[in-house]
Amino acid sequence: MKITNEVRISDNGFVFNSKTGDSFNVNPTGLELTKLIAQGHDFDSIKNIFLEKYDLDDLTFEKDFYEFCALIKHHQITSQEDPLDFK
Amino acid sequence: MEKFKYVKPGMSKINAGMPSKFGLPVKQKIISGIDGIPVSALIEEYGSPLFVISEKTIRDVYGEAKRAFDTRYPKVQFAWSYKTNYLDAVCSIFHEEGSWAEVVSGFEFEKALSNGVNGSQILFNGPEKSRDDLIMAIENNACIHIDHFDELYLLIEITREIQKKARVAIRINLDAGIYPIWDRFGFNYENGEAWNAINRIMLAESLELIGLHTHIGTYIMAQAAYGIAASKLANLYMAIHRKFDYWLKYLDLGGGFASKNTLKGAYMPGSETCPSFDDYAEAISNALISSEIPHENLPVLFLETGRALIDDAGYLLTTVLANKRLNGGRRSMVIDAGVNLLFTSFWYNLGVFPTKEMDHAEETTIYGPLCMNIDVIRDAIVFPQVKTGDQLVIERVGAYNITQWMQFINYRPNVVLIDNDGKTHIIRKKESLATFKKVEFDPKRG
Ligand SMILES: Cc1ncc(COP(=O)(O)O)c(C=O)c1O
Repeated sequence: MKITNEVRISDNGFVFNSKTGDSFNVNPTGLELTKLIAQGHDFDSIKNIFLEKYDLDDLTFEKDFYEFCALIKHHQITSQEDPLDFK
Repeated sequence: MEKFKYVKPGMSKINAGMPSKFGLPVKQKIISGIDGIPVSALIEEYGSPLFVISEKTIRDVYGEAKRAFDTRYPKVQFAWSYKTNYLDAVCSIFHEEGSWAEVVSGFEFEKALSNGVNGSQILFNGPEKSRDDLIMAIENNACIHIDHFDELYLLIEITREIQKKARVAIRINLDAGIYPIWDRFGFNYENGEAWNAINRIMLAESLELIGLHTHIGTYIMAQAAYGIAASKLANLYMAIHRKFDYWLKYLDLGGGFASKNTLKGAYMPGSETCPSFDDYAEAISNALISSEIPHENLPVLFLETGRALIDDAGYLLTTVLANKRLNGGRRSMVIDAGVNLLFTSFWYNLGVFPTKEMDHAEETTIYGPLCMNIDVIRDAIVFPQVKTGDQLVIERVGAYNITQWMQFINYRPNVVLIDNDGKTHIIRKKESLATFKKVEFDPKRG
């Protein structure tokens, strides 16, 4: 999974997709996730970063992570060629 | 090192400067408590889902309706429409406020009697009155609203048999500009059927005609329709006086006032578009007062208002079971209350609200917990991100849900009343296995 080329992410949580013309607000944790994905971190690495930093258990993270991934994929912020990515 | 507080990652699309489909700003309303009691406390004590009824709201709304009519017409009498919500505790509040009872079955009739309503203050409507029901009504001196000729002749037969007089009215269907016309109930005004029925009753020694009734439909958004209906009843009232030198006691305009719920397919919320009690009262009172009826002979005006009096007082508290992204990307959630508890979700876009401030509102589908595709509480509602276990409130569910709910898959929940002093009472207990054991019999087990 990777962030598509047309997507711009600003530090205050504003995301613009020039391919679709849509813009989005992400909350701080959403922004952090998006950036980590953009930097090429995989699931385990992102999980470790989050569990380290936040008062959070691994199952909650996993659930929220995949839900967030589905959401950004729906908005064409990421593209995912391999459906088994992140497994 | 202390860890940071975690907030679920979220993202919402920006629709810059776009008004919602209703042209109104989308501002998230929150219902954190009912009559001062936190939703969380109610659910903790009585479980989820949970119906909650506010006595204060019932009395406030009733007061508003009563005032609207009392200030415009000299003699007004409400009769509580039992089918709308026949929990004893609810009926009792209406009776305490002075309402008579409007019933449509032997069961509802018995319920009204058991709630202490004097038989002479029961209006017995509907096409479903058995011989036994009619005898009970006659013995109790009720006002029997005749629906069709077969019933009229059955009544004549019964009253002869038991040698007792019956007090009757007839239900009239008429063209008030409202479509469809509910012509399956009662006798038609325009084609003369109503006048024929009246003449037949006036000839029957054992029947005493005391009133005329109509119920033009439900959720009627046009108050003018009531003006038309009232004028037509007034015409019959005067015709009876002219021919028989006799004044009826009452004209009954039935129910049908819209509640503030929003009908499916409506562009504007019901709270913005439905007429007020004042609007309805003005239309009806004007029509009667400006009719040919001499002021000193004005009949009592009966009203059988149902949904508009009770919808606002009822809430359904519910809990989020799951969040899901549907294949198309649409957010959805599953809550623990299904359409089997919310019959009115088939007509209305019910208001569903979070109990606390939340963000990331997004178009969401809200499903109930039943294993059926039709179990949709809202198919598209802009709703913030919620978590499993979060509590939500569905408002304006006081009418027709607790009477038309279906037991399916799970027990029907507690219904709690918050009284005027802010105390809570279970007024209908959650079902249990024992509820079923009491009425089921297995011949194999003897
Ligand atoms: C005869 C009669 N009266 C009163 C009512 C109450 O109607 P509403 O809830 O629309 O006020 C009904 C509802 O169907 C009815 O059939």
